Amino acid sequence: MGNNRVSIVHHLLKLVILLGFTGYLVYLALTGEILLFIAPHLVKYVEIAAAGLFLFCIFQLYFSIRSLKQPDAAHDCDHGHCHHHDLEHGHSHEPSRSLWKNVMIYGLFILPLLFGLFLPNQAFAGSLARNKGMNVGGEAVTSDGVPLDLAQLVGNEDAAIKQLFRSDKYNRDYAKLGMLLYQQDLIEMKDEWFIEKLQALHSFADQFEGKQIKIKGFIYRENELSENQFIIGRMAMTHCIADISPYGIVTESPDASSYANDTWVTITGTIEKTTYHNQTVIKIIVENVEPATAPVIPYVYPDWGFAQKLQ
Amino acid sequence: MRNAAAHKGSFKWNSHLLAASSLAFIIVLYFFSTQAPGMIVNNPKLQLFKMMFISIIIEAMPFILIGVVISALLEVFVSEQTIKRMIPSNPILGIITASILGIIFPICECGMVPAIRRLIQKGMPLYVATTFIVVGPILNPIVFWSTFTAFRNKPEIVYSRMGLAFLIALILGLIVYRFVKTDQLRVREAAQQPLQHKHSHHHDHHHDHEHEHASEHRPRSNKLVEVMSHSISEFFEMGKFLIFGALLVGLLQTFISKDSLVALGQGQGSANLLMMGLGFILSLCSTSDAFVAQSFITTFSKGSLVAFMVLGPMLNLKGILMMLAVFKTRYVVLYSSLVIVLVYAGTLILDKFLLH
Repeated sequence: MGNNRVSIVHHLLKLVILLGFTGYLVYLALTGEILLFIAPHLVKYVEIAAAGLFLFCIFQLYFSIRSLKQPDAAHDCDHGHCHHHDLEHGHSHEPSRSLWKNVMIYGLFILPLLFGLFLPNQAFAGSLARNKGMNVGGEAVTSDGVPLDLAQLVGNEDAAIKQLFRSDKYNRDYAKLGMLLYQQDLIEMKDEWFIEKLQALHSFADQFEGKQIKIKGFIYRENELSENQFIIGRMAMTHCIADISPYGIVTESPDASSYANDTWVTITGTIEKTTYHNQTVIKIIVENVEPATAPVIPYVYPDWGFAQKLQ
Repeated sequence: MRNAAAHKGSFKWNSHLLAASSLAFIIVLYFFSTQAPGMIVNNPKLQLFKMMFISIIIEAMPFILIGVVISALLEVFVSEQTIKRMIPSNPILGIITASILGIIFPICECGMVPAIRRLIQKGMPLYVATTFIVVGPILNPIVFWSTFTAFRNKPEIVYSRMGLAFLIALILGLIVYRFVKTDQLRVREAAQQPLQHKHSHHHDHHHDHEHEHASEHRPRSNKLVEVMSHSISEFFEMGKFLIFGALLVGLLQTFISKDSLVALGQGQGSANLLMMGLGFILSLCSTSDAFVAQSFITTFSKGSLVAFMVLGPMLNLKGILMMLAVFKTRYVVLYSSLVIVLVYAGTLILDKFLLH
């Protein structure tokens, strides 16, 4: 009956693994730490997945009990000659059932659970930017022969402002956002629409020159920058950590070198234009730097439907 | 049976060897970090790897569950006749049907592979299945929308991605239709891995057996039990490839920096190849890769970005491991080389004539 015992062990191992994954997901969801791994809009799917896994657990429990109670059921053999059939059966399975291979396979499932259990979860902001390469600016809106329209925003906008934010139809949403930002005395880069605002600022760099801006982020440096410059940036996550990429603005300050990489600061300053990687982008001339605490969840997320919310 | 076992043995030997070496690698990492006491937890590389590894698994979990449940439902409830009736016999129509199926069921390849295997076992022609694998992760509304959002001011990239994906699916489907006539699934027994005993061997026999059970002992609830039992087996079978893939992707992302890769890819054709390689290694979900591609826009040509976004979903580290579990190695090699050649040629042409 050795084979039977093996089968029970397999069933129980599967049960333990399923319970482990369910428990881990539930733990992450309850503590909110799940946001360190995936973007908020995916959380509900993972919760559904946890519910599904829980269902799997219940059934696996049932299968385990069944294999304990009636060992034959797990082997598709008749009651009569099961005993020695079992041996034969076990024998033909043997090559693929060798112990170390099974250890390997179950180990693969247990490994992430062990990692989850023993290593603390950590947010990645600055340090990872070095592995990823910073995203400083998109491309400015130019009229490559395409006629530039006036972006239409609901409400009575100043015609002069509309004139400033002419764009082709693909940039119209950024033009709209740009007009909203243009009318603010102080442009605040908050978590919401961080990437979209950044894109709007870069696209219409000319119009924003001289405007006041306030931004919180981590400090990061690239080789191309001069002594008195650094980049202030945030990490953007689309789905999960595998796809996070940094977005930032070149920042200029006489005492730039006194700020270490990866430190979080809130910067207030004036927008100017510069070229970086052969592109026209905005830069910030620093007026005030305050130390800031890193947010628990340091990521910003692209908002696919931001244009519809602009009304 | 013996042959099958041997065949399976050699493949699995390889993949387990890979797994073993990766695990050994991690253990070595552990040892290195224990050199300085208290450093295990603080080692940034290990931390990064751990977060990356688990994050990929968590992100894929809902999709793999959908995949295994669909696969189990197909196994229990859908007959081969139904499948055969649904697929038109004309190859072009078949390919177009598959493309539309891809649009209707927007699941990524993690969920796709288990379902596809079941469909082929149930008699779906290989070329239709291949088209589905190629098209499904790209040609769907969610991916269109996310790509469009990432490249809002460069719509030509979005249309190039969609168009090229469809064209490649069409060509690939026709090539497979014309030249691959034999069964390319891993031998049925071999497709079932040692983890499961209940369902593993004597597939047909087992089936009869279950049906007897259904009629004799536990009439009603048995269908549900059967679905769950299939789902759980499939979860463990596909899950190990997913986790192994996540492990490799995590390691690569932790230890290879984007800058060092970028340095390799200066020059016209090499950038396209490089981005294809990156797409393969990163194994991103097709709905999120556009934003990563966007971060390269100042570094590389538009064609190479399209190469990244077309090749990645069709062929990636995470997916190829799952495909190897389903298809014969030879077929996976054929599939991979065709995809690589077609994407490379396609994006070079795009670069030359359409995207500037």
